[in-house]
Amino acid sequence: MILALTIGVLVAGGVYLLLQRSLVRLAIGVGVLSHAVNLFLLTAGGPAYRGEALTNRMDPATVADPLPQAFVLTAIVITLAVTIFLLALAVIGRNDDTWRIPETGEEHDR
Amino acid sequence: MTLVWLLVALALIPLASLGLTTVMGRAAGWPLGAAFLVAGALAWPAVRDLLDQGPGGAVTWSHAWVPDLGLELALRLDGLSLVFIALALVIGALVFFYSTTYFTSGTQRGFYLIMSAFTFAMVAFVLSDNLVLMFLTWELTSLASFLLIARSGHAGEAASMRTLLLTFVGGLALLVAVALIVTRTGSSVFSEVIAHPVWQADPGFTSLVAVLVAVAGFSKAAQFPFHLWLPDAMAAATPVSAYLHAAAVVKAGIYLLFRFTAIFHATVIWNVLLIGLGLLTACLAGYFALQQSDLKKLMAYSTVSQLGLITATIGIGTEVAIAAAVLHTIAHAFFKSGLFMTVGIIDHQNGTRSIDRLPALRRAMPFTFVTVLIGAASMAGAPPMLGFVSKENIFAAMIDAPGASALGLLLLGVAALGAVLTFLYCGKIITGAFLDGPEPKDEVREARWVTLLPAAIPILAGVPFAFLVGRFDGPVELAVVASHPTMAHNPGFTLWHGFSLELWVTIAVFVIGLALVSRRAVLRPKVERDLLSFDGVGVLGALARLATRSGGAFARLVRADHPAHHVGPIAALLSLLLGAGSLALWAAGAVPAVRPGVNQFVDVGVLLVVTGSVIALARTHSRIGAAVLLGGVGIALTVQIFMLGAPDVGLTQLLVEVLTVLVIMLVLRKLPVDFGRGRKPQRRVKLAVAVLSGSAAALAAWTVMGRRERSDVATYYLDNATQLTGGDNIVNVILVELRALDTFGELAVLGMAGIAIMAVFASIPRVLLDPEPDPDPESPVTYVPDPDIDIAPEGTRPHRALEDVVANTQPLRLLQRVLVPILVVISAVLFWRGHNAPGGGFIAALVAACAVAYVYMAKAADGPVSRPMIPVVLIGGGVLVATATGLLGYLRGEFLQPLYWELLGTKVASSLVFDVGVYAAVLGVVMVAFNLLGADDVKEEVTE
Repeated sequence: MILALTIGVLVAGGVYLLLQRSLVRLAIGVGVLSHAVNLFLLTAGGPAYRGEALTNRMDPATVADPLPQAFVLTAIVITLAVTIFLLALAVIGRNDDTWRIPETGEEHDR
Repeated sequence: MTLVWLLVALALIPLASLGLTTVMGRAAGWPLGAAFLVAGALAWPAVRDLLDQGPGGAVTWSHAWVPDLGLELALRLDGLSLVFIALALVIGALVFFYSTTYFTSGTQRGFYLIMSAFTFAMVAFVLSDNLVLMFLTWELTSLASFLLIARSGHAGEAASMRTLLLTFVGGLALLVAVALIVTRTGSSVFSEVIAHPVWQADPGFTSLVAVLVAVAGFSKAAQFPFHLWLPDAMAAATPVSAYLHAAAVVKAGIYLLFRFTAIFHATVIWNVLLIGLGLLTACLAGYFALQQSDLKKLMAYSTVSQLGLITATIGIGTEVAIAAAVLHTIAHAFFKSGLFMTVGIIDHQNGTRSIDRLPALRRAMPFTFVTVLIGAASMAGAPPMLGFVSKENIFAAMIDAPGASALGLLLLGVAALGAVLTFLYCGKIITGAFLDGPEPKDEVREARWVTLLPAAIPILAGVPFAFLVGRFDGPVELAVVASHPTMAHNPGFTLWHGFSLELWVTIAVFVIGLALVSRRAVLRPKVERDLLSFDGVGVLGALARLATRSGGAFARLVRADHPAHHVGPIAALLSLLLGAGSLALWAAGAVPAVRPGVNQFVDVGVLLVVTGSVIALARTHSRIGAAVLLGGVGIALTVQIFMLGAPDVGLTQLLVEVLTVLVIMLVLRKLPVDFGRGRKPQRRVKLAVAVLSGSAAALAAWTVMGRRERSDVATYYLDNATQLTGGDNIVNVILVELRALDTFGELAVLGMAGIAIMAVFASIPRVLLDPEPDPDPESPVTYVPDPDIDIAPEGTRPHRALEDVVANTQPLRLLQRVLVPILVVISAVLFWRGHNAPGGGFIAALVAACAVAYVYMAKAADGPVSRPMIPVVLIGGGVLVATATGLLGYLRGEFLQPLYWELLGTKVASSLVFDVGVYAAVLGVVMVAFNLLGADDVKEEVTE
């Protein structure tokens, strides 16, 4: 179904970015991959049920599963922290996308 | 129970030492040493009980430790442990008394703390009846030894590492032995293990465990080939050597061998190893001792040699041998610790402990002379010393060794050779320090009584003990029976045995020794030549270097500069697993039909946006473009999440997206404009792996998604959450009340990330954050030219519009006065209403974080948004508040159990306080990001 396709596209994009050399691209790839996983978790409750889980306003027949929502909420915030950490590491030095160390001229591209 | 009190008292002494050293400095040795004796006296009821029981008796205590694994904390006091505890406590007390005046400066807090902790570990080791406890305390003693040597500054560094390495090899052997025993016999209590039939039934197993235990004992007792750590450890201070290396650590190894004699005394390989290596060590170390001119090193080698003799005697395994070994252990502990301490005194008074530089001290330091003379006499086995009695008994045990009488005579011969060497180095000590050499200068005087007395007591005690040696029969008998399954054995120690073979051997040893000592001037240069060109330390160093090189060679096989070399195979493997698993499920027909209603129109829109963004994101070379496209993906996901019926999650996602893009921009301004280009063949491989992963993920998602009813858990939460907690927003209620522990863990991760970022930035030189541009324009990737923007000359309005920072940000700052309070209010409202409507701590904190971001963007110059410690306080405070709320939950039975009360008409829960903690931590992390990534050390020019 369509959500599965969305997840597939996001995973493909995330993994492709994760295989790049630049640390900023890695951080973006982590973000995209986490989007994919969050979507996957959210749909674990059953994409047929899409009602909001607020007791005073919900329709019991179509209300969504609240437990995956709770998981994903914390996951999103943790991904923010991890992305910030990766970006902080990326900014150290001149360029995060290089294989050459200017001070010594060494090249490491293995 | 008394045993437990003894251990508790000994455990409290290190803690007390912290306070006492602060108050009394190094004089804290007096109360601490006295405390040891008092602790020993505390154990008197247990000791009396033991003595009443007679041979074969024991005082035990046990307590369930880990019932699921069948582990018991078992303590056992029998004759053998009694001897060793007495040694540890008495000699420990004397060494502490000595240390009060030996150290001339400093509070010696670390010294007293580690030494008393070590005593606790030693006594616990000797008392433990449980093999696991035995191993733990064994390792503790190794650790204490390492720490004490490492304290001695530069000289101690390499030595302490070698000690660590060797004693831990022994520890590893002991661990394997314990594991084998516990699995095979099913019990970890030593007294039960002894009686198990496996020792008779399986000689191969018995030999294996015997070898392992022997290796462990040898490593601790510094026998060949582990002997090199003991002389190395002489880098430590003299009291350390006197206690650890004469009476305690090395005795732990001997104790282990005594204990396991009960099982292995008739095992051939045990006997061969102990006797062979023991006698070899005795003679080898004796010769090495003879070669030394440093008195302390000489003592160290002599300790190794004496331990070799004891080990060999244990190896013989008869009751006579065990009795002789116990007596010699006691004698050795006394005279060796005393000798170490007097050598320390000689060192202090003369400034050197090298024989070549010491004058003839017999008249300048008479009391020391007499003490050393007596100590050396005891070591050499001269009558009427305790050492004489024990050596005679050792010789007797060797003669009576089981097997051919020729074997016994051979052992006696080798032991006699060791005794000759012992006599020679004792002679070297006496002549080198006291008899030979120039007259001392006037300022060399006797040490103070306060220092000399604790050093002399153990040695001088050997004299009366020799005459009262019959009194030792009782305890030694207990010890023998404890370590050897006999009914009773009266050692019958006396000072005079009659003219037996042992006595003739001793007389022969003395005659040869005296003859050689009198020729010392001629012999000394010949002896002090090195035997071999390498020594133990060199061998160990070479082994370590070999290990490092081979490790490096193996690592080079998988070394990669880019993580992609590792991520790629992992991703490919996981995709294959997912794909294969899904196909297997399909093939087995285990996949139910899709329920109606899973696809909705909005999903298509999101899919299109996401696909376009992801393809563009993968292909773009512009960093800013990547940031924008990431934002696009995030917005599309936000729409999808809202459409899936998750308002809280959607709000969080939206705010996180905003903040992520902001932080990316903070970072991008210091990096080049474009990404680099990878090589074409690599790009194709990466594309293939990515497409494979995507397909596998899509297939797996399709296989499991949307094919079942709502789960039971979901039904439970939907039906009961509101009744249980009184909140209407079920997701929020789950987060802060029903599954608050997960949120607590997430808080901790968040906090750690924030602190980690601060730690990284604090640990790198600032120049790495704002480095000079690469001067080489040839390198396209590292060279970051300033962007070439064609604008009007300076002073004109177009130039000002772009470059005048203060004016450009003025509208933002004006708006800030209105916007930030509004955002704060919104944040508060979202926080308060979270329990019943979409909102809650996370979302409110993210809104406040957006306010912080706005404040940053409105500044005219780059700078931090708060003082450096504020985020730390927020993060730490947030976690603490959450923990405190959790501990409050214990009032209702469990950690993080929510409490409810009425406040101003509305129902308030303690989860509100928990949410405050969450709020603070999230805000703190974002603040860290803006403080560290947004500020520059170099002040940017502010153009007016």
